[in-house]
Amino acid sequence: MSSRAAPKRTPQVSVRKIEPDFCEFVLSDTDPSVANALRRVMLSEVPTLAIDLVEIEVNTTVLNDEFIAHRLGLIPLVSQRVWDFTGAYDTNDDDENALMDIVFQMDVKCTGDDTLDVTSNDLQLDPSFPDIHPVAYSTGPQDAQAEKGVLLVKLRKGQHLKLKAIARKGIGKDHAKWQPVATVAFQYMPDIRINHALMDTLSEEQKLQWIQSSPNPVFRLNPVTAQVEVVDAEAYRYDGEVIAKAKALGKEGLVNITPRQDMFIFRVEGTGAMATQQIVVAAIDVLLRKLDTLQQSLASADAAMDMDGL
Amino acid sequence: MASSRRPAGTGQAPDQRMEQPSLGVDYLCGDCGATVKLRPGDIIRCRDCGYRILYKKRTDRVVQFEAR
Repeated sequence: MSSRAAPKRTPQVSVRKIEPDFCEFVLSDTDPSVANALRRVMLSEVPTLAIDLVEIEVNTTVLNDEFIAHRLGLIPLVSQRVWDFTGAYDTNDDDENALMDIVFQMDVKCTGDDTLDVTSNDLQLDPSFPDIHPVAYSTGPQDAQAEKGVLLVKLRKGQHLKLKAIARKGIGKDHAKWQPVATVAFQYMPDIRINHALMDTLSEEQKLQWIQSSPNPVFRLNPVTAQVEVVDAEAYRYDGEVIAKAKALGKEGLVNITPRQDMFIFRVEGTGAMATQQIVVAAIDVLLRKLDTLQQSLASADAAMDMDGL
Repeated sequence: MASSRRPAGTGQAPDQRMEQPSLGVDYLCGDCGATVKLRPGDIIRCRDCGYRILYKKRTDRVVQFEAR
């Protein structure tokens, strides 16, 4: 295999913010292909748990069976234990005791005159997996303070819903309900270079006008040196407004802005199924396993070619 | 999706199924809501109010769906 004569780099990650449902970090010293691979893996290949089969016994609600089944599937389940499970279509012939199904029960009947809300809190957990439950799950009295859970359907007096829901491991590629993230996106860090020689030909008023032409505050006028400087490069949205303004002022080339190809700002929003840092780490793990598979098959392909005398 | 519908659970024994047509099937009257038991060849008509639109009841078996 011939390799490009690019210098070997070690990608760097610097974390800016970590919250249970959100994290922001900067990935640098790598290529857009790597950043995009990481984004795509986080979106569709990090496994989670979600309800996949619904067995409905009684349904006299206003919503039909498949509607309720679909809504149940979309409830995020806390999936910290997803690694203990095997997906329904994963090949795992050697282990017959592989964990696969988590069974939730639901039996709600409206007896009062008021409308009754059926939420994810009405799901009864699987006694074998008490730590696997829907997000924001709470039992007991449903007062105003308690988490409301995910609304499924509303019942009128006499209406009854009884079902069994089976949750399984899966990935976002198969169905969006298994995506661990609500949103994951990266932004190219802009490289902003001001042509100071050209900038000095502008009057102070023109400089202020030019600074104000940016929809987001990216530049400012230094009150001491009277020079235009970058305050927040990341705030630049690649809108091209300042470039257009420079042209309108007859000063083309006043600023040169290019997206850096080696620095990416990632923002990950979780669904609550997993902590966001867990999602990032799991995605890197999945990516590494893919590279391993590729490396092994390349080696065996090479060996096969040698055998054929090629 | 009808194709994903797989009736499961308590399947009835074949001999019971053979008996069932003679017992008739329960329907609900579209007007008065009364239960009407019909056998093959019967006139489709409510015995209480004479209404001619009857609705079939939901199966008493469990119905399985894919949550997709």
